[in-house]
Amino acid sequence: MKRYFTDIFESISSILGGMGITLVHLFRARNDNVTLQYPEEKWPRPERNIGFDHSNYNVIRSRLHVDMDDCIGCLKCERACPVDCIKIVTEKAPARGEDIKAIKHKGITAKGTRKALVVTRFDIDMSECCYCNLCVYPCPEECIYMTGGPNAKKHPIDYEFSEPDRSDLIYRFAKKGTKDGLEKINAEQETGA
Amino acid sequence: MTVDFLFDFLSELLSDLIGSGPVLIISMLIPCLMLFGFITIYALIVIYAELKVSSFIQDKVGPMGQGVGLHAGKWGLLQPIADALKLLLKEDIIPSSADRPLFILAPFMIFIGAFISFVALPFGESIIVADLNIGLFYILGVGSIAVLSLILAGWSSNNKWSLYGGMRSAAQIVSYEIPAGLSLIVVIMLAGTLNMQDIIRYQMGGMFSWILFDNPFVPIAFVVYFISAIAETNRTPFDLPESESELVAGFATEYSGMRYAFFFLSEYANMFVVSAVAAACFLGGWHSPISGFMDSPAWGVFWMISKTFFLIFIMIWLRWTLPRLRVDQLMNVCWKVFLPVALINIFGVAIWTVVFNQ
Repeated sequence: MKRYFTDIFESISSILGGMGITLVHLFRARNDNVTLQYPEEKWPRPERNIGFDHSNYNVIRSRLHVDMDDCIGCLKCERACPVDCIKIVTEKAPARGEDIKAIKHKGITAKGTRKALVVTRFDIDMSECCYCNLCVYPCPEECIYMTGGPNAKKHPIDYEFSEPDRSDLIYRFAKKGTKDGLEKINAEQETGA
Repeated sequence: MTVDFLFDFLSELLSDLIGSGPVLIISMLIPCLMLFGFITIYALIVIYAELKVSSFIQDKVGPMGQGVGLHAGKWGLLQPIADALKLLLKEDIIPSSADRPLFILAPFMIFIGAFISFVALPFGESIIVADLNIGLFYILGVGSIAVLSLILAGWSSNNKWSLYGGMRSAAQIVSYEIPAGLSLIVVIMLAGTLNMQDIIRYQMGGMFSWILFDNPFVPIAFVVYFISAIAETNRTPFDLPESESELVAGFATEYSGMRYAFFFLSEYANMFVVSAVAAACFLGGWHSPISGFMDSPAWGVFWMISKTFFLIFIMIWLRWTLPRLRVDQLMNVCWKVFLPVALINIFGVAIWTVVFNQ
C-alpha cells in the first residue's frame, strides 16, 4: 500500500521535474539553439596561419573582383590567365582621359593614369577559374584582385558560389550599356562632324 | 448565436420570399459553417504553435524563412498553410484490398465526432450554437464516436498496423472515458446541472469562485480529467494508436492526402473540445479571473479562448516532455490509479459539501 502512494508521488514529481526542464529550454531557445539561418548568417572565417603574413598575402583566394573605374583595358590579365577564363573587349575612347557621363566612364584611374580605352566587355568565368592568382600580379592599376584577406576593405570575402544556372557564374564586370552607349556617342560625333 | 435566434432574425427578413423551411436550414447551416471556419483557422494556429514549441523545447528554431516565396515566410508563418495545401493536393490512395465504403466513411465519421462536440461548447455568455440542458453529457457522449471511427479506419485498411492501432485506440478511449466522466461528476455535483452555461454561471465572481478552487478535492479531479482527456485525444504520452516507432502510423497508415488531413484536423479539434470542457468546468469558462475586470460579454470570448489555448499549450508541452507509455502501463494507470482516485474524489467532494457548504 505504501508502494502505491510513493509510486504516484514519484511519477507526479518526476513529470513536473521534466516539464520544468523543458520549460527552461522553451524560454532559453534563443540562446541555446545552434541553428544558423544560413544564407543570411554565416559562420565566421576560421583564423589560420600557413607561414605567410595575412596582411600582404591572400591566404584565401575566394573570387576575382575587378574595380572597373580603374581598369585601363591593357589585357595583361587576359594574357596571364592559363585557362583563358577572362574575356576583355575594348574600344577607343572619344577623348583621352575624359569622363563620359552617359556610360559612367571615368577618364582617370586612382593611380592617375589617363585612360585611352573604354572597356565594353570584361567577363570572368568563375566556373573555369583555377584560382592561381596569376592575373593579379601583372595588373598595373591593381584593379583585379581576389576578394577578402588583405583586400577585405575593397571587397568583403565571398566564397559561396551557389547559382541556379552555370552561366550565372560568369561575372560581367563591364558596366551595363557601355557598348551601346559608346556606339551611340560615336555615331553622334560622326553625324556632327 | 443559437439557431432559434438566427431563425427569428432571418424569418423576419426572408420568410415572405422562400418560406420557413429553407430559412430553418439556412439558420442551421450558418453556425455550422462558422464553426468549420473556426476549426480550420484554429488548426492552422495550433499546428504552427506545435511546430514552434516543439522546436524551442529541443533547442531548435523551427520553421524559419525570410519572405513569401522564399522558404516559409517570416518566422515560418506560412508553414501551416503550406502543410495544409500539401495535404489537400496529395494523391488520395485507396488500397485495392481495403474495405472501400468503410475506408471512405472513417475519416468523415471521426471529423463529425469532433465537429458535433463544438455545437455545445460555450464561447461566451450568449455565444453557443445549441444551449442544451444536457450539454456536458452530450459532449462526453458524442466524444465516443471517435472510437467507432478509429476502429473503422483500422479494420477497413486491411493492414496489421492499422488494426493494432484501431484496437489500441478502442481499449484506450473506452478505459479513459471512465475516469474522465467520474471527475466531471464532481463538477456536476457542485454546480447541480449538466447545462454548460449554468455550470459557468455557477463560477461567477473572480478566480476563487472557480470550481477548481472550490475545495481541496477538485484540483485532483481536474488533473485526472486533464490527463484522461489527453489519453482520449490520442496524444503523446498516450499516442499508442498511432505510435510512429511501433505501428508506422497506426490507424492512419493507409490514409493519404485529404483523408489523412481529416484525421489530423479532428485530432486538433478534439484537443480544443477537451480543453474547452476543462476550461468551462474547472477554470470559470468565459468569466474573468478577477471579478469585474474585463468582464463584459465580448471579453468573455477572449477569456474562454485564452483559457482553452493555455490548456492546449500544456498538452503540447507535455507531448514534448514525456516518452510514450507501454500498453500495460497505460491500462495500469487508468484502472489502478485514476479510477480509485476519481471514485474517492467523488466521495470526498460529497462529504466536504455536506460538512462545510451548508
